[in-house]
Amino acid sequence: MKEGYKKVKRMTPAMRIVHWANFFSMIVAIVTGLYIAEPYYQTLIAESAVDKYVMAWNRWGHFIVAIIFDVTSIIVAYLYFFSRFEKPYKKVIPTGKNIKEFLAVLMNLITLNRKKDFDSSHLDSFNAVYFAIFHLLLAWMLFSGLQLYVHGLESGESSIGSWWPAMLHLVTDWTIPFSHAIVGGTGPATLMDVRIMHHYIMWFIITWVVIHIYYQVWRTIYWQEGDIAIVFGGTKFVKEDKEA
Amino acid sequence: MASERIESIKSLFTAKSAKVETNKGEQYYANLYEKCKTRLESLQELPPVSNKIKIESALEDEGVNRRDFLKWASATTAMLMLPASFTPLVAKAATLMNRVPVIWIELQDCAGNSEALLRSDGPKVDEIILDIISLEFQETLMAASGHQAEKQLEDAIATFKGKYLLFVEGSVPMGMDGQFGTIGAKAETFYDHLKRVSDDAAAVVAVGSCATFGGIPAAAPNPTDAKGVMEVVNGKPIINIPACPANPANMVGVLLHYVLTGQIPELDSLLRPKFAFGYRIHDNCERRAHFDAGEYVEEWGDTGAKNNFCLYKMGCKGPMTFNNCSIVRYNEGVNWPIGVGRGCIGCSEPDFWDKYAYERPMANANIKAPTGGVEKTVDQFGLGLLTAAGIGIGIHAAASVVAGKKGETNE
Repeated sequence: MKEGYKKVKRMTPAMRIVHWANFFSMIVAIVTGLYIAEPYYQTLIAESAVDKYVMAWNRWGHFIVAIIFDVTSIIVAYLYFFSRFEKPYKKVIPTGKNIKEFLAVLMNLITLNRKKDFDSSHLDSFNAVYFAIFHLLLAWMLFSGLQLYVHGLESGESSIGSWWPAMLHLVTDWTIPFSHAIVGGTGPATLMDVRIMHHYIMWFIITWVVIHIYYQVWRTIYWQEGDIAIVFGGTKFVKEDKEA
Repeated sequence: MASERIESIKSLFTAKSAKVETNKGEQYYANLYEKCKTRLESLQELPPVSNKIKIESALEDEGVNRRDFLKWASATTAMLMLPASFTPLVAKAATLMNRVPVIWIELQDCAGNSEALLRSDGPKVDEIILDIISLEFQETLMAASGHQAEKQLEDAIATFKGKYLLFVEGSVPMGMDGQFGTIGAKAETFYDHLKRVSDDAAAVVAVGSCATFGGIPAAAPNPTDAKGVMEVVNGKPIINIPACPANPANMVGVLLHYVLTGQIPELDSLLRPKFAFGYRIHDNCERRAHFDAGEYVEEWGDTGAKNNFCLYKMGCKGPMTFNNCSIVRYNEGVNWPIGVGRGCIGCSEPDFWDKYAYERPMANANIKAPTGGVEKTVDQFGLGLLTAAGIGIGIHAAASVVAGKKGETNE
């Protein structure tokens, strides 16, 4: 270890597993989701329709990663409030201290690291808010996606019982008027509004990811605290005199 | 507007959505059977309202024999999701259709729903049934015109006050105080016309996409501020039978249900009868196997099209459209849009012209960005967003490099 630096823990193994599970799920979700939206390659298999099953496999993959996202989201939501390591909700609440820290980190980004008057050894408010935006976007994808999925269960039955579609309707039907409020239109809210918003938000998430990766790399280079290592080893390094 | 939106959200949470109860238990149907029987007996004692045509002779004139009629009766029983034991009641109800007075008014539309009934090559039982209903007023069909027609409407309203079913075809233009559409010698606006006739109706049946959700007149930019009936008429039971045109089978279904039970059928959250709109087209589509296989028509007339491949890439909206045309089809089972190889345009869903009927997959269609303004595809919008982010990152990175170097020299 470099002289004058000390190691600080930033991500628990659980958080890192969630991160990489999300990483791989997202790639699969985008690749299959784009196919579902508009099949961009043709099936070149000389088999009858019953054997090929290309769209069905894409949808299957999409649903499987959706389930993984469901699970990781529930874990993340739980950790927000009950984590023994750090409770991110404390950094998202707009208290005076958090707003001040948020602005300080934002200024650091805007002034290209000329100004850095905040403690970068632990989760800062700016990062917490940035991740909260991601969690909200992802939550939207889950609810709107389950709404699109339940259209196929119109009989009210499923292989695991009628509670499943009933529950999905209860928790996802709000996405229809919500999407309509954003998409607009003259008639009443319609199912296509949900599909349009599900697709739009994918692009917002991709944009989020691009900026996220850039910011982590940028921090690593300019803060010189090894931030990029957090997601692999769970730790970064800070100057000892900085540590509170 | 805000309170309306809150109401619509509330109704979505409490609505039983698209769930269709196909079996409600033996006891339920036994009770319903007795109820329907009593109702039909009491209807039979009433004289026909004004249409004296007997269904037996009407069927015979059109060359439909008794056997065909009973086949139709059992099919319709199944469509209404009633047990087979109800078939005799349905057949009987069909003969008593002229006991219920019907007024049919036409607003901002193309008369396509009337046409759907009239222009069929060789009327089938559904259309014949609609011939023998007691249609007291129908602008397109009636011989009277001008003041005589107005008089007939007033008479019908007065005579059957609170008893008639009102069928409405066409949207209601609300812009410019409703002056976009007027009718009659007094130039009554469509809105006033609808209000006057619906005030005394037992129930209002909105037929076709225009009357239900505004349809094509309400498509962007909606110059006449067209609205569906359910947004205009309050305090009356409303049944929506969307689609462009509405399927005569579903009109008969609603009428039959009313004659049979004296009640309107079970409705979904968009006030559509569940027996007709409880199922998604996609799930009963004959080309579904090709969808799952990834076998799509790539362009009109290609090998895929000749082999009845899935029309999803040609913009078929079956996966988002709830209607029974994949089951009952049109013109008594002759064919339906996907059967003729041209894909579904979602005509029974709200805003279908803007949001469903662009004949491309949604991802590849020009739709308004959530902010309004320029029409782009979702993917173009998304790539634009991504490009903007990329440019922003590039500028920031370049600036950081420059600033970093300066920082080093300063130190």
